[in-house]
Amino acid sequence: MSLLTDELRARIGTEVTYTAPEELGRAAIRYFARAVGDDNPLYTDDAYAREHGYPGVVAPPTLICETNQYADVPPDPDGYAGHDWHIDIPGSRKVRGGNTYTFHRHVRPDDVITATWRLAGATERSTSGGQDMLIVSSVATYTNQHGDLLCTNEETIIYVARKEER
Amino acid sequence: MTAPLVEPGAEVPPLERTIDLRAMIAYAGSTWDWHRLHYDPDYLASRGLPAPVVDGQVFGALLAEQLQDWLGPGAFVRRLHFRFKNLVFAGETVRCVGRVSAVEDGVVHVEQRVLVVGGDQAERVAVEPAGAEIVLRGEAT
Repeated sequence: MSLLTDELRARIGTEVTYTAPEELGRAAIRYFARAVGDDNPLYTDDAYAREHGYPGVVAPPTLICETNQYADVPPDPDGYAGHDWHIDIPGSRKVRGGNTYTFHRHVRPDDVITATWRLAGATERSTSGGQDMLIVSSVATYTNQHGDLLCTNEETIIYVARKEER
Repeated sequence: MTAPLVEPGAEVPPLERTIDLRAMIAYAGSTWDWHRLHYDPDYLASRGLPAPVVDGQVFGALLAEQLQDWLGPGAFVRRLHFRFKNLVFAGETVRCVGRVSAVEDGVVHVEQRVLVVGGDQAERVAVEPAGAEIVLRGEAT
């Protein structure tokens, strides 16, 4: 049985755009840095950030790729409240593959983030254990309210066929 | 603080962190991600998972932090990639390790990994391969 359905194939190339309802904000930056345990004063101390050439505090590099703040969608039954393609592949389990981030500049508290997600591709493979899997790749492009390119995020999600279903 | 040694083969100082349930809850809140995988015992039991699963995206933050701490506030991480190998569970300790693979035109290339360390179980790999490019002179504006 092929995991790559005609329905999914037809969706490749589609895009969805989200714009945050507010600026990223200093509190969101401090909360994230505190949560991951990063005590770099670049993220909390304006004077320190200015000393090092920034206009003020900046966000930790990966925050923009990890937060769902911009998406502003209600949580799904699993509790997830971010961008999702809602790809349903019966008899499979979904796991994260990996990410490649390209940063153009630090995100700042006054940036209002727009993220455009594109469904870039879907490829069938087999795991080393011989299970069928489908690798779905997406690209998110993040910009701000002035059209500045902030970052891109290439993401792979893997749907692995469950053994008992084969 | 002495200037870090930045040449091919040089080790990036490791970054180690224990990710307990409290840290996971804080992370879930700070990223607006309330997926039950990260805290809900009933949800986990129904899927045969032994403990809350650490959100893998946090390893991206730790890999970036490891580099920024090493090269200082003027350095700019322009590219970061990572691939997940194994799940990490609440209460486990991870160690980010890395090594310089090349230095070209003020850009440092590093290879990194995230390992799960300590505890009773054998060390396992959480993230591999991973790596980054860092611009020493800072972000281009």
